[in-house]
Amino acid sequence: MKFRVPIFLAVIIAEFLANAPMQSLARESFGPVDSGAERIDASEESDLEVLLGRAERSVVKLYGAGGARGLESYQSGVVVGDGSLILTSWSTVLDVDKVRVVTFDGRRLDAEIAGVDPQCELALLRVPNSGLLGFELDPQNIAKIGQRVFAITNLFGIAAGNEACSSQKGVVMAMSPLTTRKGAMKTLYQGRVVVVDVMTNNPGATGGALIDLSGRLVGIVGKELRDEQAGIWLNYALPMDVIKNSVDRILSGQANMAAANTQAVPQPHRLNDLGIALIPDVIPKTPAFIDWVREDSIAARSGLKSNDLILLVNDSRVDSRKGLERILSTINRGDSFAVLVQRGQELIKIQVRP
Amino acid sequence: MFGGLAPDGVHSRAIGQSATDGLQGEVPSPLQTTQPEPAPEVLQAQKQRIEAMRVASQATVGVFGVDGQGGGSGVCITPDGYVLTNFHVSSPFGHRMRCGLNDGKMYEAVVAGIDPTGDLAVLKMYGREDFPVAKIGDSDRVRVGQWCFAAGNPFVLATNLQPTVTYGLISGVRRYQYPAGTILEYSDCIQTDAAINPGNSGGPLFNAQGELIGINGRCSFEKRGRVNVGVGYAISIRQAMNFFWHLRSGRVLDHATLGFTVATDAKGKVTVSNILESSDAYRRGLRYGDEILRLDDRQIGTTNQLKNVTGIFPPQWRVALRFRNETDTVDTAIRLQNLHLPSELEEIVKGESSEEPRAPPKSPQQEPEDTPNPESPDTEQPKPGEPPKGAPPGRGLRGKEGASRKEKDSLADRYETKRGFSNYYFNRVELDRIVALQKPRNQWPKSDEAWVLSGTVVGETTNVQTRVTDGVIGFTLGDKTESVDSKRGWTPWIQQQSLVSLAFALRTWQQWHQSGPRMMGEAIYIGRSPLVGRTGLFDTTRITLGEVDSVIYTSPETGTIECIELFTDNQSDPAEIYFEKVQRNGGREIPERVRLAFGLETRLVVDIARSEWEPGTVLDSGKEDAGKEKGGD
Repeated sequence: MKFRVPIFLAVIIAEFLANAPMQSLARESFGPVDSGAERIDASEESDLEVLLGRAERSVVKLYGAGGARGLESYQSGVVVGDGSLILTSWSTVLDVDKVRVVTFDGRRLDAEIAGVDPQCELALLRVPNSGLLGFELDPQNIAKIGQRVFAITNLFGIAAGNEACSSQKGVVMAMSPLTTRKGAMKTLYQGRVVVVDVMTNNPGATGGALIDLSGRLVGIVGKELRDEQAGIWLNYALPMDVIKNSVDRILSGQANMAAANTQAVPQPHRLNDLGIALIPDVIPKTPAFIDWVREDSIAARSGLKSNDLILLVNDSRVDSRKGLERILSTINRGDSFAVLVQRGQELIKIQVRP
Repeated sequence: MFGGLAPDGVHSRAIGQSATDGLQGEVPSPLQTTQPEPAPEVLQAQKQRIEAMRVASQATVGVFGVDGQGGGSGVCITPDGYVLTNFHVSSPFGHRMRCGLNDGKMYEAVVAGIDPTGDLAVLKMYGREDFPVAKIGDSDRVRVGQWCFAAGNPFVLATNLQPTVTYGLISGVRRYQYPAGTILEYSDCIQTDAAINPGNSGGPLFNAQGELIGINGRCSFEKRGRVNVGVGYAISIRQAMNFFWHLRSGRVLDHATLGFTVATDAKGKVTVSNILESSDAYRRGLRYGDEILRLDDRQIGTTNQLKNVTGIFPPQWRVALRFRNETDTVDTAIRLQNLHLPSELEEIVKGESSEEPRAPPKSPQQEPEDTPNPESPDTEQPKPGEPPKGAPPGRGLRGKEGASRKEKDSLADRYETKRGFSNYYFNRVELDRIVALQKPRNQWPKSDEAWVLSGTVVGETTNVQTRVTDGVIGFTLGDKTESVDSKRGWTPWIQQQSLVSLAFALRTWQQWHQSGPRMMGEAIYIGRSPLVGRTGLFDTTRITLGEVDSVIYTSPETGTIECIELFTDNQSDPAEIYFEKVQRNGGREIPERVRLAFGLETRLVVDIARSEWEPGTVLDSGKEDAGKEKGGD
C-alpha cells in the first residue's frame, strides 16, 4: 500500500512522538496567584491602562498540537459570552483531545471543542468555570477605516504562566475581502477582513482580540497570511458581523447534532464499502485524510479524491479518523450524506450518494 | 491626524469620543472632520510630547566604530559622559568607539565595564563635562497601556547624528526572555510595540514624560527577517542602574544565581527542588521542599518570576527572601552568588569580541527566534559622494582627520588590559575617587604605633579592648585576651565565628586610613551595593589580604567606612562588622559604635570610649613593612 503522509500531519506525528513541550506543560499547574507586580494606585493609571488591563483578562493563551516545522503549538483565544466559551482560530493547534487554556492569572483549564466553522476558520471552545468575563459579540460593532484599535494576543508565545497577553496599538487601514488576493494568499476564509497598519498577525497571535477605544471587541485576529508573490505579510482580523454569524452557525450546528439520531444503525456506511482508505491511525487525533479512493467506487463517483481532508459530515465536525468512523456508523447504508472537504486551499461540498 | 494618535493623558476624552471621531467616518476626505480645530487637550498633549522627545533626543547617543563604521545606540546618563548601551553593541568595536550626539558632534569614547549576561555595557565619552543626560525614570511603575518612545540609530540612519524617534505602546511588563543561543538573558524586561530595529540596540526607551525607563536591545523576529514586527524588549532601567556602578568599575561582570532551583507543583506552589549546601540560602535555613513566597518584596508564583527578580541584581547583593517551611514563614536576606566561573565569562567575551560583524540574513527563514539585534555594520554602505557615515568632515572631536586619528589614539591612556577586566583604567579611576573622598580624614600616625580602642559591650559592663599593630592583633573581652598575627592566620577565627573578628576589622580600618586600599593588598573596586537595614547603595571595594577577602563598603558622599566584610571562602558566612557610629576627630575618623554579625545575627556590639596610640612597643614583624608607611596614593 502506498503510504503518503501530508507534511503537516507528519509534523504532528513527529511532535506526538517527541512530545516533550506539550507534556511538560500539561504537568505543570498553577493556582490563582497575585501577578507579582506591585500595584500602584488606580488613580495613577490612565484610562488606557485600565482599558487594556481589563481587556487582557479576557484573552487566553491556548496550547495544543504542533511545535515543529514552523507550526506553532500555541495560539490565542478570546473569552466570549458568559465566560464559558472561547472563540479562536480553527487550526492544527486544536488537533488534540483537550486544548489547554492558560488564563491571565496563570490558571490552567482544559477546553473541549464545541464546534468549528471551516469557512471562517473559527472554532468555539467550551471551558467550564473559567471565571472570566466574556466579550460581547455585537455584529453592529464594525471597525471603521482610521479607527484606533488594539490587538491583544499571545504573539510569539511571549506571555507565559500568569503573564497577560501582549497589547499592540494600530489603526484600521482597510476593510477588504481576502478574495481579491485569491491565489496569492493561502487561506480558506475568503470574506471581508479588517486590515490593520501594524504587525499584529505574528506567530501565535491568531485567535486574539482586536478591540476599540471603548474596550469592545471589533475583530478576531486571523491566521498568518503571506502574499506569495509580493512576500508581504497581511495583518488583519475577522469583522464582527462575520464572527457573529459564524458563532451562531457553530452553536446551531451543535444543537442540530444533539437533536439528530446519534445511535449506531444496524447497517451503516463503511469506509471500505465507500471505497475510501484513510491514512493510518497512528495518533489519537489522526485527521481524516483520504489516502486513496478506489476506482469506480461510491466515493470516486461522488467526487472524493485522495488527499482530501474530511472536515464535516452532515454538518457534524470530523475531528479525527475515529470520529469519521463513528459518524458514519450512525448513517444508514442506503442514505446519502454531505461532506465538506478541504482540498488544497479550497473547501468543497460533496454529496455522497450510494 | 490627531484622532487615533492621542497620547497618554487624553484618552479619557478619546475613549468617550471614539464614535464621533472625525477620522472614523465613512467619508474618505480627511478634511471633513466634525471639529474644525483639534481639541486644546490634544494640542497640549502634542506639545508635551514634542518637548519630551526634544529633551530626550539630546541624551540619545549614536555609537559608531572609530572609523565611523557600523552603529548602534546608547544613552548618556551622567554629565561627564557615561553612556549606557548593550554589550552586543560595544563588543564588535573592541574598547574604542565614537559617540554622536544630536548637537552634531562626534565624541571619542572608550568602553568601561561590560555585562555579557545582562547585555549591558558602559562607555565613557570625552570632550565635555556638561553632556546632556537622560532623566532616570521608575521602570517598576511601567504598565501595559502607557505610551512610550524609543530613540536611537535604527538601520544606522542617524548619519546626521539626529536620532530616530519611534512611538509606541507598552505591550507587556516583567517579561522573561530565555537566553537565545548565547548567554544573553533578558529578565524582567519591558515589551513595547514602538519600532525597535537593528541599530536601536543599546538605545533608550522613554516613557511619555521623557524619563528613561529601559535600554532597548532585543526583538522577536522569527521568520520575518530582521525588521520590527511589533515586538521589542528593553532592559529595565532599574536593572541597568543596579549594575551601573559595577559597570563603571571596568570589570567583566557576572550575573547572579540563588544557589537553589525551584519547581512549580500541582497546587501552584513554587518550591525548592534543589539547593546547594554551600549557598547562603542554605545557611539562612532554606531547605529542599520549602515554598518560596517572596523575593525582593515581589510575590513569586512562577519560576519565571523568580528568574525575573534574580536577573536584575548583581552577584553578592543581598536580596530579601520570604519562604515557608513545614512550621514557619521565614523572612531573611540571602546573598546572591556568581552565575558563571571567571573562565566561563572569559570564553564568552573572547567569543563575542572576535565575532565578525554579522551579515544580513540570507533569507528570513534562517533567522532564529529572538536574536538580539546587533547593529549590522555592513548592511548600509555609504553611497558615492556621501561623507563616510558617522564621521562628517570637520565634526571630529579634535577636528582631526581620520588619518591622524589612526596615527595616535587620543584615548590610548584611557585603556588598560587586565584579566577579568574590560578596561582596568576605570577601576583605578573609581578607586582614586574613593581615596580622594577620604583623603581629608586619613592623617594617621606612623604604623609602628599601636592603635588601642577601649570600650564596653553595649548594655553590659564587660570591658572590650582591641590593640592593633603591624605585628599582632590583640582582642580582650572581659578577662580573656586573644592574640593573632596581623597578616595571617585569620581564617580559623572567622570560620569559627570568633568575636576576635571585630579586631580584624579594626586592623583593616587602620590600614585603610593609614596606607590606603592599594597598599593593603590587591584592591579592586566592585561597584555599589546595598547594606542590610540601610537605604541607598555604598561604594564597594574588595581587598585581598592573604587568605582573607575584605569587602569594604564606603559612603559615596563622604568615603566613610560603613561596613567591612571578611570572607574566607564562599562556603561559610563572612564576618560582618558595621560601623554604626563614627567620630570625626580632626584629620581622623574613629569608630564609636561597632557591631559584629555573622549571617544576619548580631554577636557583639561595642561602644568605644577611648582611642589611643601607643608608641611602638610590641613590634616583631612590623619593621620589614616600613615601606608601607608612606601609603596614600
